[in-house]
Amino acid sequence: MRRSVWILFVLAVSILPARAISITEVRKSLVHITTTAQEPNYRVPWNPGGVNSGAGTGFIIGGQRILTNAHVVSNARFISVERENDPKHYIAKVRHIAHDCDLAVLEVSDAKFFEGTMDLSFTNQIPPIESSVSVYGYPIGGDRLSVTTGVVSRIAFQQYSHSSADSHLAIQTNAAINPGNSGGPVLQDGKVIGVAFQGFSGDVAQNVGYMIPVPVIQRFLKDIEDGHYDRYMDLSLTTFPLLNPAQRKSLGLGDDGQGVLVGSVVSGGACDGVLKVGDVILSLDGHPVQSDGFVELDGERMEMPEIVERKFKGDSVAAHILRNKDPMDVTIRFDAAWPFQIQASQYDIQPRYVLFGGLLFQPVSRDFMRGNQIDSLRVRYMYDFYLSEEFYKSHPDLIVLSSVLPDPVNTYLGGFRGGIVDTINGEKIKTLDAMAAALAKPAEQYVIQMMGEGRPIVMERAAVEASRERIKARYNVRNEQNLSE
Amino acid sequence: MPTRFAFLGALLASALLAVPSPLLAKAEHGAAAAASTPAAAAKAVSVVRVNATSQPYDFLRPWSKRPPYQRRAAGAVLPGGRVLTTAEQVANATYLELEKPDSGEKSPATLEIVDYECNLALLKPADPAFLASFKPLTVGEASAGDDLAIWQLEANGTVLNTRALLTTVEVGEYPFGDTGMLLYRLTTSLQPRESGFTSPLVKAGALTGMLLRFDSRSQTADAIPAPVIRHFLQAASAKGGYVGFPHAGMHTAPLRDPQLRHYAGLANGTGGVYIRQVHPGGPADQAGVQKGDVLVAIGNNAIDQDGNYADPHYGKISIQHQISCANFDGAKVPFKIMRQGKEMTLPVTLRYQDPSQSIIEPFTVDKAPRYYVLGGLIFQELSRQFLKEWGSEWIHKAPERFLYYDAYQEELFRDDPRSRIVIMSNVLPSPCTVGYEELNCLVVTKINGVELKSLADIEPALAKPVEGFHHITFLGHPGEIVIDAAQAAAIEKPLMRNYGLPAIKRL
Repeated sequence: MRRSVWILFVLAVSILPARAISITEVRKSLVHITTTAQEPNYRVPWNPGGVNSGAGTGFIIGGQRILTNAHVVSNARFISVERENDPKHYIAKVRHIAHDCDLAVLEVSDAKFFEGTMDLSFTNQIPPIESSVSVYGYPIGGDRLSVTTGVVSRIAFQQYSHSSADSHLAIQTNAAINPGNSGGPVLQDGKVIGVAFQGFSGDVAQNVGYMIPVPVIQRFLKDIEDGHYDRYMDLSLTTFPLLNPAQRKSLGLGDDGQGVLVGSVVSGGACDGVLKVGDVILSLDGHPVQSDGFVELDGERMEMPEIVERKFKGDSVAAHILRNKDPMDVTIRFDAAWPFQIQASQYDIQPRYVLFGGLLFQPVSRDFMRGNQIDSLRVRYMYDFYLSEEFYKSHPDLIVLSSVLPDPVNTYLGGFRGGIVDTINGEKIKTLDAMAAALAKPAEQYVIQMMGEGRPIVMERAAVEASRERIKARYNVRNEQNLSE
Repeated sequence: MPTRFAFLGALLASALLAVPSPLLAKAEHGAAAAASTPAAAAKAVSVVRVNATSQPYDFLRPWSKRPPYQRRAAGAVLPGGRVLTTAEQVANATYLELEKPDSGEKSPATLEIVDYECNLALLKPADPAFLASFKPLTVGEASAGDDLAIWQLEANGTVLNTRALLTTVEVGEYPFGDTGMLLYRLTTSLQPRESGFTSPLVKAGALTGMLLRFDSRSQTADAIPAPVIRHFLQAASAKGGYVGFPHAGMHTAPLRDPQLRHYAGLANGTGGVYIRQVHPGGPADQAGVQKGDVLVAIGNNAIDQDGNYADPHYGKISIQHQISCANFDGAKVPFKIMRQGKEMTLPVTLRYQDPSQSIIEPFTVDKAPRYYVLGGLIFQELSRQFLKEWGSEWIHKAPERFLYYDAYQEELFRDDPRSRIVIMSNVLPSPCTVGYEELNCLVVTKINGVELKSLADIEPALAKPVEGFHHITFLGHPGEIVIDAAQAAAIEKPLMRNYGLPAIKRL
């Protein structure tokens, strides 16, 4: 047994020697991407939004596909790609895009584009700390290739700022990564070890750039194999380190440094009904969980969620737990990605809204909060505690009266700006669709009660009807509502 | 061509417990300019210096007080050997003293009555004869358009007399509490003096107000008006002891919107305000007033669409003044209301509402905050003063859940069995709290399975450890933590020594 392992190892080394590839070869796989994008305007949601253009990098990965960052091609209306040593611009399209891990695959319909190109391949491991890396791309707007080098500085979970709501493994490097490098390959010994994607602005930190590592890229490529991106699976729970001796003792744990406490379980999430607050997770998917929440994966100490990071829709993981001091084995199934995305930046969608009598109602989302200066403590609280207080159950949409387009029909309603809709004619309003339906029901008047103890908004049907064309014309409103993203 | 790239700007902004700036609203003296003195000094002195040494509690370290500071103010001498000043001046005072402006002679003083909601306080000198040489002021009256005199004190004891034009009389915010009260709005050009901005306002030799705040940029000042002072003094001389300003226990909204008027069953053009909330068990509720009723008159005073009545002296004034200031606790006042087009009159018995009975106290003055330190975990009761420890920007910087609780407490905790919200504000790291160091500002729901309705419940709860462990249950993450009961008891003394705690608890 030992002998065969040894032979395999040698074979592997002799067949796949670590060989640096020349810059000429790298050039054959690099793609300069120019995107024209249109970002929706959450203050004037019926407007198509301003057009702006940006540039990034991509590289060819086989199957006539280009890999790049999602943020390079988000909200795109037109994408053109160029190769080194080919003056022609080709039109590209997004085939798959994953906003939760900031990756996208592009395709070019003109097969000529791929003539004479070379596919880059990936390593199958995470590079060691302090090993050298090279970053290729078209930073700060230039259209000539730029190469920077550095070392692997750190490997840790990072927030991916494209969605701002997801954290995955990321590799930090001191090789310069600048705007425009996004989507470009980071190579070590001729193989891709990551995709450059984000950094700190210079006034926050120096020489800190991040790349998306191979496990995240491979997961994305595997997820889209069936033609559909299912997003990341999530445990939907919080854990608390079990470092306190008294707490360990009371939970029936020894001093072996194992186990984390389940601190909260999101109802409706993957662990709902499987794990309870107060359970101790001893091992997950066969990996012992250390008391600070780390596990050993591929010889590296990593945060426990990294186990689930590598799972797909339909997968399940076994957990060995302690409940009321009794050991138990449970199975956590990942049937679907978490549906409520209001705290994530969203792309390639149109803002939803309802305009009624000059009152603009919009569901709260990260983009909405950024576009509108909402000072209401109630809105801030319900947005920030949307998950932990489980507001998604009572209010899948938190519908805010975001602005009032002044008109005689709403003269006295300016003070309601920033309120959250509770009921319409006595009916609890949970979604924007339900709101649109309630306002479409024939009634003499619509009594809209906002959350809290304010007086109701009363809108008489006849007055609203009479105001519709007037408001549309005066404020250049294209549509009075948009219910689909 | 702008390039797109994702930056991680906010990551470094840590979410740790912010270190609040000192609470002290420093007295605005200091630049006592050697300006010329246009003082038309009063012949007989009616103003005395009120010197206060104050020491508020530190609500983040509830066992300790902040450094003492001194404030000097001018107080009005009243008949009966008493001195009127603002409650702000005496808030958290550890030592009060009166000083004769001309001779500098001093006498310790005691606080007779203080009402923080109306921001007034009555002091009495320890030496009964101390004020014998003063000419007491009686309370007068003023109206918009009047010229008033603001009496500050010069360093040499003479009165600095500054003219102020009374421009507006309206209901507005007071420094403590959430109740609006009548205010005089003044235009004046006040010079900074060490007697600060707590000074009497005088018209024709009578006291017409107490200065409340001054804004040097806009040259405007607010003052506590004569009616509020009169109400305070009358309540202070009541036989049964002082009872604060009464309330009706309801909130109203303007009724200008014609669509809302139709909905409420009213014709256009008439007055009335919409009752949007009735405090359960409060005076209005007990009298049968309901949410959605329209209040059209209180007594003989008709109410307009904005909630004003025609005051014989001041003109259009909010009914808030009519309810709270023109009446005393226990007064039975007829509320004329419209309900679904029908008029009815409901007699409402107005009552004082003790703000300290709120689940989250709107202000905590002169009172030591309660706390309990268990093995290093600091348990407290949530109060607005605790939130104000986050400094002048507290409304944005304090923990959001607590801010939300405070802002919407009437609505959120109506049926809550708790009388206070018990929180674990912070952790003093100790051998007991290993692994808990980063927990702070959490709502504590139970200890050892016992629900905490206030901090008073903590000792009975701690008397029932489970198999030698105290179980502390939080609202939300991390659910529950555990403290070894014997270890917590054993480290009490070392913990107190280590962190300089005078006591492990104050309940």
